[in-house]
Amino acid sequence: MTTEELQALTVNKSVDARGTACPGPLLAAKKAIGEINSGDIMEILSADEGTKRDIPKWCQKKKHEFLGILEEDSYTKLYLKKG
Amino acid sequence: MEENKKMCMALFSGSIDKLTGAGVVLSGAAADDMDIEVYVLLMGARAFIKGNENKMDGLSEYPELIDEFQASLKRLNVSTWVEFFTMAKELTNVKIKICGLAGKMWGGEKLEDFIGLADDIVGIGEYITAAQEADVHLFI
Repeated sequence: MTTEELQALTVNKSVDARGTACPGPLLAAKKAIGEINSGDIMEILSADEGTKRDIPKWCQKKKHEFLGILEEDSYTKLYLKKG
Repeated sequence: MEENKKMCMALFSGSIDKLTGAGVVLSGAAADDMDIEVYVLLMGARAFIKGNENKMDGLSEYPELIDEFQASLKRLNVSTWVEFFTMAKELTNVKIKICGLAGKMWGGEKLEDFIGLADDIVGIGEYITAAQEADVHLFI
């Protein structure tokens, strides 16, 4: 997805994991994914560099669609659609 | 439905650095919905005795850096090893099994002598079988 498309997404659930280091953001995503429905969009906020690799890989394994990343000044926003 | 992958972890170590590392690895495996069996061996069993779980009294590596290690955990808001293990159990199928000999070494004869994370007291044969059957086998 392009930056504009990601910015225009309607997010069903946002998970702010900026206060935790690895594996905090991945665990937060894992917990939150159970609270949304198939096809819903989830946003994960993370200040941990490893999350940018972990979440796309995790989506691949768990059959969620990884939509992309938006970089902010001191953190990252990651987007996925639940499979 | 695809069958979950299996992880077998031998947790020989009971020092806070290795327990924390084990907790991080367990978390990753839990995020992947792996079925996990943790076999708590000799030194690891000390940490699972009731009253010992919050001891931060030893590092396996660079023991002189204990203060720096603890400060870093706090600064980075890293969960305690007990919190990691608890979260893993909430997220996936995790069984924690204490080696009978290891438990006795530290005064743990029965399951109630250990913290609530412990599920069973077992013999070494069960660990070997689990290691043979696992997709991932770790010795920490």
